[in-house]
Amino acid sequence: MPTMFKRLIYILLLLPMACIDPYEVGLDTGEQLLTVEAVLTSVPGRQEVRLTRSDTYGSVFEGLIRPVRGATVVVRDDLGEVVFLEENSEDRGSYLTPPGFATRPGRSYTLQIQTPEGKVYSSFPETVNPVPDINSLSIETITIPVEGEENVRSGIQLIVDIQDPAEENNFYLWKHGPSVYILETRPDIFTPRPSDTNPSRDPQPKDCCIACFRTEQVDNSGIYISNDDNFNGLNTRLVAGFVEDDGLRFVNTYRIDLRQISISQEAYRFLRLVKQQTEISGSVFDPPPANIRGNMINLEDPEEVVLGYFIAGAETVRRIYVDKSQLTFAQPRSIIPDDCRVVEGAQLDPPADWNP
Amino acid sequence: MKKLLFTCLAFLILQGVAAQDQIKRTVIGRDIGQLKDIRIAGRIIDEITGEALVGATVSIPEINQTKITDNNGEFEFILDRAEYTLEFRYVGYESITYPIVAVGDGRISMRMIQEDFQLEDVVIFGRDPEKNIRSTDMGAITMSMNTIRELPPFLGEVDIIRSMATLPGVSQVGEAAAGLNVRGGGADQNLIQFAGAPIYNPTHLFGLFTSFNADIVNDVTLYKSVIPPRFGGRGSSILDILPKAGSIDRWGGDLMLSNYSGKIGINGPLVKDKVSIRGGFRGSYINWFLNSLSNPDLKNSQANFYDGNLVISAPISENQEFTYSYYTSYDDFAFASDTTISWKNNSHSLGWKGHFGEKVGIQALGYLTEYDYSIFNRSGINDFDLNSGIVDYGAKIFATYSLSPANTITIGGDFKDLTIQPGELVPTNQQESGILPQKVQEEYGREMGAHFQHEFEIGEKFGMSYGLRYDLFQYFGPRTVRQYAENQPISDGSAIGETTYGDGEKIISYDGLGPRASIRYSLSKYSSIKAGYNKMYQFIHLISNTATIAPTDIWKLSDEFLKPQIVDQYSLGFYNNFKGNIFETSIEVYYKDIQNVVEYKDGANLILQNHVETELVPAQGRAYGVELYVKKNLGRLTGWVSYTYSRSLRQVITAFEEEIINDGEWFASNFDKPHDVTLIGNYKLSTNTSVSATFGYSTGRPVTFPEAKFDYAGNSLAYFNRRNEQRLPDFHRLDLAVNFKLKGQGRFFEDGDWTFSILNVYARKNPFSLFFVDEAGAPPQALRLAVLGVPLPSLSYSIKF
Repeated sequence: MPTMFKRLIYILLLLPMACIDPYEVGLDTGEQLLTVEAVLTSVPGRQEVRLTRSDTYGSVFEGLIRPVRGATVVVRDDLGEVVFLEENSEDRGSYLTPPGFATRPGRSYTLQIQTPEGKVYSSFPETVNPVPDINSLSIETITIPVEGEENVRSGIQLIVDIQDPAEENNFYLWKHGPSVYILETRPDIFTPRPSDTNPSRDPQPKDCCIACFRTEQVDNSGIYISNDDNFNGLNTRLVAGFVEDDGLRFVNTYRIDLRQISISQEAYRFLRLVKQQTEISGSVFDPPPANIRGNMINLEDPEEVVLGYFIAGAETVRRIYVDKSQLTFAQPRSIIPDDCRVVEGAQLDPPADWNP
Repeated sequence: MKKLLFTCLAFLILQGVAAQDQIKRTVIGRDIGQLKDIRIAGRIIDEITGEALVGATVSIPEINQTKITDNNGEFEFILDRAEYTLEFRYVGYESITYPIVAVGDGRISMRMIQEDFQLEDVVIFGRDPEKNIRSTDMGAITMSMNTIRELPPFLGEVDIIRSMATLPGVSQVGEAAAGLNVRGGGADQNLIQFAGAPIYNPTHLFGLFTSFNADIVNDVTLYKSVIPPRFGGRGSSILDILPKAGSIDRWGGDLMLSNYSGKIGINGPLVKDKVSIRGGFRGSYINWFLNSLSNPDLKNSQANFYDGNLVISAPISENQEFTYSYYTSYDDFAFASDTTISWKNNSHSLGWKGHFGEKVGIQALGYLTEYDYSIFNRSGINDFDLNSGIVDYGAKIFATYSLSPANTITIGGDFKDLTIQPGELVPTNQQESGILPQKVQEEYGREMGAHFQHEFEIGEKFGMSYGLRYDLFQYFGPRTVRQYAENQPISDGSAIGETTYGDGEKIISYDGLGPRASIRYSLSKYSSIKAGYNKMYQFIHLISNTATIAPTDIWKLSDEFLKPQIVDQYSLGFYNNFKGNIFETSIEVYYKDIQNVVEYKDGANLILQNHVETELVPAQGRAYGVELYVKKNLGRLTGWVSYTYSRSLRQVITAFEEEIINDGEWFASNFDKPHDVTLIGNYKLSTNTSVSATFGYSTGRPVTFPEAKFDYAGNSLAYFNRRNEQRLPDFHRLDLAVNFKLKGQGRFFEDGDWTFSILNVYARKNPFSLFFVDEAGAPPQALRLAVLGVPLPSLSYSIKF
């Protein structure tokens, strides 16, 4: 009876009257527009420029995003220095700089692309601004209620403490670097799939191994950016990332590198529009959809739309070790009934610089 | 011959009645031998509640004169010494015939009794049955609360603004949209005023319904075509809501409970027969329900609102009266988050009106209105309050001089002072906070207006009203204003310098003359043609990046970058009543030219924006349409059908290519809905039961669909290009309501009234918006948000005591 009553209230209530459901819209076939994704920074390494083509909006069956292969990709700085990028043979559409490439603060960079069809594209110059250090990095546990489910999602927010320089207008982008954590599995309850040669359904414990070091690249799809309008010249704390608790990462010790990148005002504007679109909820307060204009143009046909953005910035990295005791809420532990070494990216030996 | 005979017979019978009746005539006035210019004034009140009846008609067939009672229920005749038969009529009340002999100046206090639901006698005339034909007003629609009460209620309550949207030429963006769009104008182009004071965001529950308590309202007038010159400052329409005075003779009240909110009202004589008071309060208990739920999203949500009113009315003499009105509304709302949005309105107005002789009437009003909204962030990191608000105070005065009953001149002036705080960010934990307090420069402006209007009739057939309004707007300091390079689009990058203006120093001023005129030619007693022209200036703009009025919107005064909106409207109409005013019909066409409306750069950032000009682009607008309207005023079945075909278009062409929208072509505004149909019916099943239905259909509003998808930073994104080229699916919805009036035996609580209503009877999921998302585990897809996706029942019970 109480549930009945609650349901009745629920029906009569205001909020559940609104609903969101998928809706079929007949969309025109999309144009295959060149899309550029590149964030080049001052941390030396093989850095990537990724080229794809847009397609019809909708699922992969309606439009498949394809890589652009065989293009000539060049990065040029304002002193005339030119760097050729090489296509990654294992990952088509990905073009890599030579090892050790790094941007230098104060210089400006231009990306130039010639596609196999002979079209030539160029970015507007992007000037690299210096980036302040991350004074410290801390975490905070957060929980996210999920509609219609009892269990909440949870994870850690990465919070940077920075001293913003007062003399200039700063724009920040944060990305997750590689992470490593101690993965604990249960080889003692390993149970292979029954087969002709091994028909048993009982656990067949393995001797090894319970704990490994697993390296992974955490998803970077959340956009973490900020301008210093609210804190110019101040020491401030900002949310700079989120790592979801998947029941594995935070059972022992977790380590992640956080990349802080200085970006230009135009790049910030571009990323803000991307962020705005990814956070749209369809509510009454949503802004209308915006045309996300990038900084690439076709030199011969300026009317042609080129999507994406070429970002050049300076980077500083800060590392944090997170012990399970630091979390105020944790997901139930996920159980992998096998040798930890079978998990992708896992190995027995800690990385050389493992120093919690 | 037969006809003549009948007339004679009738004459004889009437004579007979008069002769028999002679003794019963009430003698009015002290007999000092006066023969002419005898002033018979009076007041009509409700027998039971003692409330003044506003808009009742008093006619004297002998001299063929009809007067309509004013806001205080007062009427007045100047008569010769003779015998007369006064006839009192009012919607929903029993008519009274009152024979008098006028011998000297005097007063009549008339009490009218509400009639029981008599099947043949249900009338939904606003005020005067032929007003639509005879007046020179164009597009002025007065809805009495009686009419509005006949519509199916929204969440158990009568909703004034939503009721207006059922009229031709008036629409809303969607089901949760608070603002009205009148004849292709934006939501900010309507001046909503309560007791003469402008109200900036009269909504509850983020726009779901209106924050005016219907029990406090006497009537509502919408001017959408030729707006009288005494109103100015907004481009599209004026929604003039007048509160109801309390009874000067006995205490009474009402109570209403619905499944969402409750309200209570009380009114009575503060000083018997002199000063009346009326108070009303309405509040919601949604919060209490939310907290009792187990769903975490709902449990962590809150939705709170209340509104309150106070009206004090004090006639200081027979010819003068003061009225004070206070209105407040408050909302806060948080949906499963640590961010609370809250807004409130506060408004005071003090009005005075007086009659000097028979020919001169003067009205004066002073008001103070405050609107505040705040966003409170309590996420634990960098907690802040973001506050903004408007303070608007002003005064107006106008005098009416009647050369003759059908020839009046109105002259007046008004003044208002506006202070807008566009946004102030206050860190709530000063020591630890890593954010700077921040304050967008306040804006100061003054509006002044002077106006003149002359209304007259030439013979029975021709009527005319012409007038002029002069508007002056001044924008002044303290303020720091940027200069921008001339050959570049206005942006942070093109700023070349700053000028600082001191306190009270004038920065810029705009002025303009707004002529208004309308003519009426009567083809017969029941039909007429009217034409009108109207020019309006608007110096305040709603800077909003959403499709509707949201609490996060910013009001902005015209400055050196944002020019005043100027609206020119031409209209033509044909009006015809049939069958003794049982049917009322009209056709109106209009064309509107709108200068200096605001459009936004893509992804404009408006919050805490010190230089809003960098986010805006100037646009031109135009709108046109035809409105058809058929209304049945009498009988068991009453109601109306309206159909509007209209377009509302925008164009953005500037000197800079990156600012041009849709290649400089005309494109549909956010609220362009070409076809709009409303059907409203109310059917009396029996003397105490009625059912009502509302059906609405309109073309889906324009939206922008993605032209392609692309990948960026692990997200699949939509590429949008041309604005508003596609449309949402068509909107249609049916609402039904049943009303039972219970007649109790006791003295109190005798007026019990049950209303059961269902909104969206056949569960149409009318999309408020379509949006495009890419969530992990699913392909990028279009989702539909339906604000009212299910049939929504509500039940309310109200009593009068």
